[in-house]
Amino acid sequence: MNRIFRWILWIAGIIILLLYPWLFGIYDTNVFVLFAIFALFAVSFNLLLGFTGLLSFGHAMFFGVGGYGTAIALTRIEGLALLPAVGIGVLAAILLALILCPLLVRVSGTAFAMLTLAFGQLLYVLALKLRDLTGGEDGVGGFPIPPFTIPGVVSIDMTDPLKFYYFAMAVIILSIWVLWFFTKTPLGSVMVGIRDNANRVDYLGFKVPQTKAVILVFSGAFAGVAGSIYAIFQNLISADDAFHVMNSFAPVLMTMIGGVASFFGPIWGSAIFAIIDEVTTRYTERVELVIGVILILVILFAPMGFVGFYRIVKEKWSSRRSSKATMEVSS
Amino acid sequence: MDPTTAMYVAQGIHGLAYGMVLFLVASGLTMIFGMMGILNLAHASFFMLSAYFCYQVLAWTGNFWLALLAAPVAAAFFGIICERFLLRRVHVFGHIGELILTVGISLIILDGVKAFWGTESLPVKVPQVLHGLVTIAGLEYPIYRLFIIALALVVLGIMAILLYKTRLGMIVRGAVSDADMVSALGINTPLVFMFVFGTGTWLAGIAGVAIAPILTVFPGLADQIGMDAFVVVVTGGLGSLGGAFIVSIIFGLLNSYGIQFVSQLAPVLMFAFMAIVLALKPTGLFGEREA
Repeated sequence: MNRIFRWILWIAGIIILLLYPWLFGIYDTNVFVLFAIFALFAVSFNLLLGFTGLLSFGHAMFFGVGGYGTAIALTRIEGLALLPAVGIGVLAAILLALILCPLLVRVSGTAFAMLTLAFGQLLYVLALKLRDLTGGEDGVGGFPIPPFTIPGVVSIDMTDPLKFYYFAMAVIILSIWVLWFFTKTPLGSVMVGIRDNANRVDYLGFKVPQTKAVILVFSGAFAGVAGSIYAIFQNLISADDAFHVMNSFAPVLMTMIGGVASFFGPIWGSAIFAIIDEVTTRYTERVELVIGVILILVILFAPMGFVGFYRIVKEKWSSRRSSKATMEVSS
Repeated sequence: MDPTTAMYVAQGIHGLAYGMVLFLVASGLTMIFGMMGILNLAHASFFMLSAYFCYQVLAWTGNFWLALLAAPVAAAFFGIICERFLLRRVHVFGHIGELILTVGISLIILDGVKAFWGTESLPVKVPQVLHGLVTIAGLEYPIYRLFIIALALVVLGIMAILLYKTRLGMIVRGAVSDADMVSALGINTPLVFMFVFGTGTWLAGIAGVAIAPILTVFPGLADQIGMDAFVVVVTGGLGSLGGAFIVSIIFGLLNSYGIQFVSQLAPVLMFAFMAIVLALKPTGLFGEREA
């Protein structure tokens, strides 16, 4: 029963995703793409915070490097196809993760948060100062967006927002699925082990720093995917969009609002943020005030985030039902 | 004295003054962050709030000295209210709960000051006494920068005496190393922590008033100093006042000489320094424990 219900939910979800642009129009479709990009960003972040217990304050650096990689590649290399361009962005993010991981894997806790913060700010300043490469404050924009081609089969124009929507959703959902699959692998279990008791994992013979490095590269790569899609979607990437410290805090807040203890929590968090942003900008200019108040209310009354809140409500509801059932049986 | 040396000395004074302001903010942060274990991202917002209060008191009375007294106290009052009614309730959820809460508080303060005072830069005038230059040993120094350095040193002295020579300071240090034990001895530790938080915000408030005439008062003020102060606290070692002092001065000098020699990369120097320190010693220069 439950299994069938779940399948129905999945199929209904896919149908809604497919029909979304026709149901809600192009403006809301673009809002949705932006939400999905940040959902992937937050999920890749939660691989570090929720699963490995590493609080990163500089996750935007992978996002930004992915975006800049794709944008610069499309600007400089003529006739570059779409997927290789995304690939270059992801490779850039992986390269950054590989460079940083010898330093980052040795520390945890606050020191990890601060080191990531430091490198994130370093990249922010570099993006502002290396004007020849990054365009300084203006960023890299107006680059040509190639069509999505499978040689000899199809060539789909990506400047059409509708077609880009399907491309972006396909890439993002595939990425989130890969990340989900990763948490189910044996390595994913080691990851949770590191979060709960790094010493014990070490005694069991797993190499903690090396595992952390793999996770860091993995998480960074998918943040790079999000950044790369973002750059193509906006046809622009600038230092403030990419590396600003608020962009590093965004996934932290989304994950906390959604629920840190769950794989899908960050997606809910990202959705809640997107909705708050859309609704408040329509009625008031004081978006920050609204977000601030909501953050405080969440942490005071639902500290496990949206998913935790949902679980508590569900548990209460089902326990009430089951207690009713047992009462009926006993009577 | 030749002009090159004069320029170096002037840059040094600027660096020292900035370092001292940084130290005032960072000392409050290191007390709260290091001693109480609270990750207070709203600290710089209280600093900014105090700068705005200073502007307001000046607009009403025109007396800078009154502003210097009143604005930090008002900011500390806000800080204590936040600690008593918000932070204390989320302390059980650990660092990340406090992080979310303080981000929330800082966003509300940011939007609050925008609503009350607008987004433009507001100028703050220093009193006539602190205007101009003073000549010592053939070199001219701007009086206001010297005043900032002196102010910070006086505050540091008072803090050191309070913390290491009084009964209250002993209780604070005790509560920091083992809050349960001190509480069992019949001391009201939540009250002590409230006092520490208030003092920390008060220190940030003094820095806010001190910096207002130099940078003017605008909503981006918190970002600019807040990040620097955070970096100082972490590099110096959590909870270490001495570490914060030394690193603040290093950063102040790095900043002013960095702008002079490698202006393109000056903002990077600080983060590079922090990265090197943390990579070699994850607890910071003078820190003994990881938070």
